[in-house]
Amino acid sequence: MIRVLKLEWLKIRNYRVFWILTIMYLLALIVIASGGMFFLEWLKSEGADFQGINPTIIPIYDFPDIWQNTTYLATFVKVLLAFIVIISVNNDVTYNTLRQNIIDGISKKEYIFSKLSFIITMAAISILFLFVLGFINGSIYSHVWGMDYIFDEMEFLAVFFYEVIIYCTLAFLLSLIIKKAGFVIVALFLYTLMFEPIATTIMINAPALADGIAPEIAQFFPIKSLNNLISVPFGRYVFMEIEDNVSIKALTIATGWFVFYLSSIFYILNKRDLN
Amino acid sequence: MERILRINKLSKRFGKILAVDQLELEVTAGQVFGILGPNGSGKTTTLGMILDVIAPTNGNFRWFEQDNTVEARKSIGAILETPCFYPYLTAVQNLRVSAHIKKCGTENIENVLKQVSLFDRKDDKFKTYSLGMKQRLSIAAALLSNPPVLILDEPTNGLDPEGIAEVRDLIKEIAASGKTIIMASHLLDEVQKVCTHFCVLRKGKKLHEGNVSETLGEINKIEVAANDIVKLESVIKNFPGTSSYSKNGNSLLVIMKDGANATDLNDYCFGQGITLKTLFTHRNSLEQEFLKILRAHD
Repeated sequence: MIRVLKLEWLKIRNYRVFWILTIMYLLALIVIASGGMFFLEWLKSEGADFQGINPTIIPIYDFPDIWQNTTYLATFVKVLLAFIVIISVNNDVTYNTLRQNIIDGISKKEYIFSKLSFIITMAAISILFLFVLGFINGSIYSHVWGMDYIFDEMEFLAVFFYEVIIYCTLAFLLSLIIKKAGFVIVALFLYTLMFEPIATTIMINAPALADGIAPEIAQFFPIKSLNNLISVPFGRYVFMEIEDNVSIKALTIATGWFVFYLSSIFYILNKRDLN
Repeated sequence: MERILRINKLSKRFGKILAVDQLELEVTAGQVFGILGPNGSGKTTTLGMILDVIAPTNGNFRWFEQDNTVEARKSIGAILETPCFYPYLTAVQNLRVSAHIKKCGTENIENVLKQVSLFDRKDDKFKTYSLGMKQRLSIAAALLSNPPVLILDEPTNGLDPEGIAEVRDLIKEIAASGKTIIMASHLLDEVQKVCTHFCVLRKGKKLHEGNVSETLGEINKIEVAANDIVKLESVIKNFPGTSSYSKNGNSLLVIMKDGANATDLNDYCFGQGITLKTLFTHRNSLEQEFLKILRAHD
């Protein structure tokens, strides 16, 4: 693992685009994880109120709810990590360095493991970063304190870790199939944040479809199944019932996709002639 | 002899085109093996298959009599067609990636860069290099782990005349150190100059395989000239090693009997009071042989 990871590190550490995307990603996490209170202050200054309650006392930073809140928001910027993966795979494909790597003496399997170890490392750094941010924000704003609260619902960090890995594996697969990095980036961005969410929303909510099996099929879509892992948490602040557990069904569907992505990568690379 | 590579009925089909057709080859230790053929004859495809970057349609190959080709590749230095490196990395950074894969340590990087005369540019990014420099960097990468076997696909491609001479000298030097070299080229002159063995491919089929010096035969033609051409002619007529001779402008072209050589001829002339001002030995060229082989299979 360390050996294949070092290979990725040697390839990417002097690559400027990698650092720009990484910094953008980490900044985005900081803004998302720490911006909540500023957002609530802004709501207050705009005169918004929630059934007579001052918005700034909404306990979005309370342990343990903070973990679901921040990981939910963080899933929106995971697309930046996918861009890093796309660029790194695409470099190997367009510069033909994948072929050079293989001539130098790694197997295609080792190559896949090196990319996966890179993805896993990025996911691990993400949750470590989110944990630190959550802990700091919680220390400042949480109305409750204590080990029981702080370390409760940590499974959301674990699920976020898993979600990032699956999503980046999809990016890996796409950049092997489509060799133009720019095209993959635009396609993945639009699909993740627009096409599929719109399609599934229609399938679930359109009156003509809502009674059929369309809403059920929507749950099996690749991005929808990932989004279902961490459900929208903010309904709880307007006294709605929300899903505050990780759905086993969503986890199973997402794992199915993960297996599909990985086997496709193995299949494609084994069959492909690198010339 | 220790067998380095055995290729067994190897074939590759790209759609309708059969790029390599039931190829059989054997390379033993210490050979400099040239794969000759016109463009599109399957040379690079063959090398790509034995390096595991192209999947064979049929057949197989074995390196060093073992089945683990991934490990085998670490003992092979190879360049395949165009040089492929990360354009945003410097020569040294690129070679670090190769060294890491080959598990060979980075201490040899400066040496190989000096060997291919890139040391001055070692900290410049690959994308700033000329084609010749890129080609030399790929040779440096191939030499990096000091491998017992080298695979060179058109190694002088894109080099200037000076670079070509340097690379040829380098290949001879490497061959002299006992390494095995497998080289593909369409430059016959190149193969003639550096190879010990060769095979000829056309449309993926092996037409001929042989030893370079045997194929080219012994030196049997000698061109001589002296100030007194008339006297020279009578001396040559009497030389016991002369099989026949002909006049060729101001010199004589002597066809020698088997066993006679240029030294004997020179000694004999000197003994008869003639000092040669020209003594030039002619060999058959591989080009003639190559064309003969291609014609024979038309």
